[in-house]
Formats: sequence, C-alpha cells, structure tokens
Amino acid sequence: MRSGRVSLLAGCLALALSGCGEPAADTSSGPRGAGSAAATASPPTPAPIPVPGPAPAAAPGSAAVVDPATVPAPVSVAIPAIGVVSALPELGVAADGTAEVPTDYDLAGWFSGGGRPGSRGPTVLLGHVDSTAGPAVFYSLRELVPGNVVEVTVADGSTARYAVTGAEQFAKDEFPTAAVFGATTEDVVRLVTCTGAFDRGARSYVDNLVVTAERLP
Amino acid sequence: MNRSRIARTAVVAGAVGAVVLTGGGIASAETEVAEPATFTSAFTAMATPAMVINNDGVPTPGQPGASGSFMYRINSDLDVICYDITLTGVTPPYQSPAKTATHIHQGAEGKAGPPRIALPNPEDDGSGKLVSSGCLQGPFTTGVLANGADTGTGFTLAQIEADPAAFFTDSHTAAYAAGAVRGQLTQVPVGGVETGAGGTADTGSSTAPLAALGGTAALAGAAAVALRRRAGRG
Repeated sequence: MRSGRVSLLAGCLALALSGCGEPAADTSSGPRGAGSAAATASPPTPAPIPVPGPAPAAAPGSAAVVDPATVPAPVSVAIPAIGVVSALPELGVAADGTAEVPTDYDLAGWFSGGGRPGSRGPTVLLGHVDSTAGPAVFYSLRELVPGNVVEVTVADGSTARYAVTGAEQFAKDEFPTAAVFGATTEDVVRLVTCTGAFDRGARSYVDNLVVTAERLP
Repeated sequence: MNRSRIARTAVVAGAVGAVVLTGGGIASAETEVAEPATFTSAFTAMATPAMVINNDGVPTPGQPGASGSFMYRINSDLDVICYDITLTGVTPPYQSPAKTATHIHQGAEGKAGPPRIALPNPEDDGSGKLVSSGCLQGPFTTGVLANGADTGTGFTLAQIEADPAAFFTDSHTAAYAAGAVRGQLTQVPVGGVETGAGGTADTGSSTAPLAALGGTAALAGAAAVALRRRAGRG
C-alpha cells in the first residue's frame, strides 16, 4: 500500500512537474543572497562574511538540556568557505512522513521540529544540490572540510558559530534517521543535501550527503 | 491494505505472529520482527530528568545529569515500531511494574499516563552508553493492568501518528521509579531527503570524497547502530 521508495520518487517527480526545477525568479519577499553561490558551479569564492554582533546565541554545553522552544529560531545561514548565504524558511514533515524541502532552489531551509542554536540539537538545514536549471544553494557542500565555519543567525540577531567536523554519505533508502534527526544534548548543526549518482529516470539522486558541524565557544 | 505484505510479515514474525493474526489468545505478546522496508513516520524524544511526572501528576525529577535520545520509526500499516534508544548517565537496575522499564506512555507534557508499549531496556554496549535497538510488531502488551485489561490493549501505532504530542517515552530505575528520564515525542522526517533534481552534481559513484574526512562521533555512533541492526537482521 505504501512504499517509502515509491513515495520518495513520486515526491521528486512532483517537484519536477511543478516547475520547481527552475530556480524561482520571484524574490520580492524575504532576504536573498544565495544566488551568487548557487550560480557559481566552480569552487569557492570566499567573499568575507561579516559576523554580526558579539553576542553568541546562548552558551553551549550547560548542564541542563535546553528546550529549543525557549530560544530564538534560526533565520539565516552563512558558510563563507563555499560562498553560501541564505535565509532559512521553515520546513516540516510532508504528509507521507518524508522531509519537506525548500521550494526555492536558491534557499536552504531549517527543520522547525528539531533543535535550534543554543538548545539541544540537532539544528537540521536542508538545501538542494541542484535543479534542472543548474547548481542550487548547497551545490558546493561536498567541498567543505573540517574546520570550515558555519554561521547560523537567529531571530534576536545573534549568530552561533559552528565548525565542520565531518561528512558522511548515505543511500537514501538507508538514510540514518536517528543519526541525522534524533534528539541530542549537543548543540550541533547538520547540513543535508543530495549527492551520489543521479537516477535520470527518477530525476533523483540516490544518496544524501550529511555534513555535521559542532558549536564553537 | 496490502494482503501479500501482511502475509510476508506474518512469516517474518513467526509462530507468535501467526497466532496473533488468526485471532487467538488473550494478551499475546508483541513480536520481535525484522526491520520493514519502509516506514510511514518517525519520532524522536529528548528525554531529561526535568520532564518526569509521577503517577499522581506531580513533577518528580529523575536522575540528575542523565539524558536519553529516543528515536522511533513506525510503519503503521504493519503496526511495526523500530526503536533506537541511547541513555546517558542513567544508572540501572531498571524497575517497573510493567514487563520492562522502558515505555511509550499516552500522556501529554506535564501529565501522567498509562504505558502503551514496553520496550527492551537499554543495556551497556561496552562503551558505557546504554543502548537498545530493534523492531516490534503489535498488538502490544505492557504487563500493566487497568480496569482488568492490559494497558496495551486496543493500542495501535496509528494513534501515535495521529497525535504524537499526546505520547511520551521514559525509562524507570530502582532509584527513580517515576522515571530517570522522560521526553515527549516530536515528529521528524523519515527516509532520504529529496534535495536535488538536476543531475549536474552526479558523482557517479557512491563513495564521497568527503567521507574521507571521518565522521563525527555522533554520526559514527549511529552508523554503528545501523551496522548492528543490519547484522542482527541477517
């Protein structure tokens, strides 16, 4: 009756048919800035990203586990090493149980049912690797190396800084839900996109890339 | 409902499952089953001592400094739940009037509520963390009676999907009988993430150059869980 694989493929097909393959040109609402990174298929253009404000979003590593609902929501992400700057629309769970993904290929999004900077983790950010029109916001995610900084700005204007610690690739049909979305006491960010071989019939990649970044003091 | 899939599951579940499907018996125990090919939903809980409520509805803090990461993946068509639980800083022995001391209860945040599922207690995996992984198929029993019936009677996993916030999960120990840690369920996505549509990033192989970076402790740990599960399945 219901197959995760089938629904995944169907979801992908729906995306393609609904014209999500074309990066949205309408930028009339909301901040934008990923366009430059997304349009650049070639390696990093390390434009310096100013780090606003001295106040980090809450102190990491406190003894008590902080409830995400008590701290400000993420509003944008910057990954200077690969030129990513993006607002972070909220993402939830689709009716078939799978992850909602950004409708705008130039924007990453954050899973609002997970952690937030300054609380228990994980803060999960999802972004497309490409669209039918070319590279998307997380196209260069696979170029990240340990130590690269991920900056997540939250609603009160403060910025939490994280350092990349590793990346792993998983077949979508063996996606480690617990490892990526499972609640953790750690204030960590996970960046998720597609990778691996592209199944042209399904118009879908067979793997997911998961980059983990841990909170910097 | 797909009849052939039910049949296949019954075979996997074995004799006990077959008895259940033929409608026999009172309070048949749930069955350890292999991981199904697909899931319809997933839920996590960050369990902490501060969330513990005793049976009278009174906040009763659990073990200081302890925490629990609970992940449940559900196939509600098959009434199968797969669990991946890690407890940190919880000191056994476990203790509960139910048949195990690790449960999913029906109760909103701040409220008490009856257990609906009793899960195998997390045990030391050799690294000092207490872990429990596997899959169970309903109908479920807890060993706790209320009004003469087992509190698992009539419960199905579809009820969690309908209202996850109405359920919490916990582990009880001898020292913290009301619960060492407790957390409400929240839904998370299940399965892979559809974040590419163009094919311009086709790496053509399933080995990422980045994998050479070495995984984080958290992901490495989870990968170990996945490997264990795979081994267990075989």
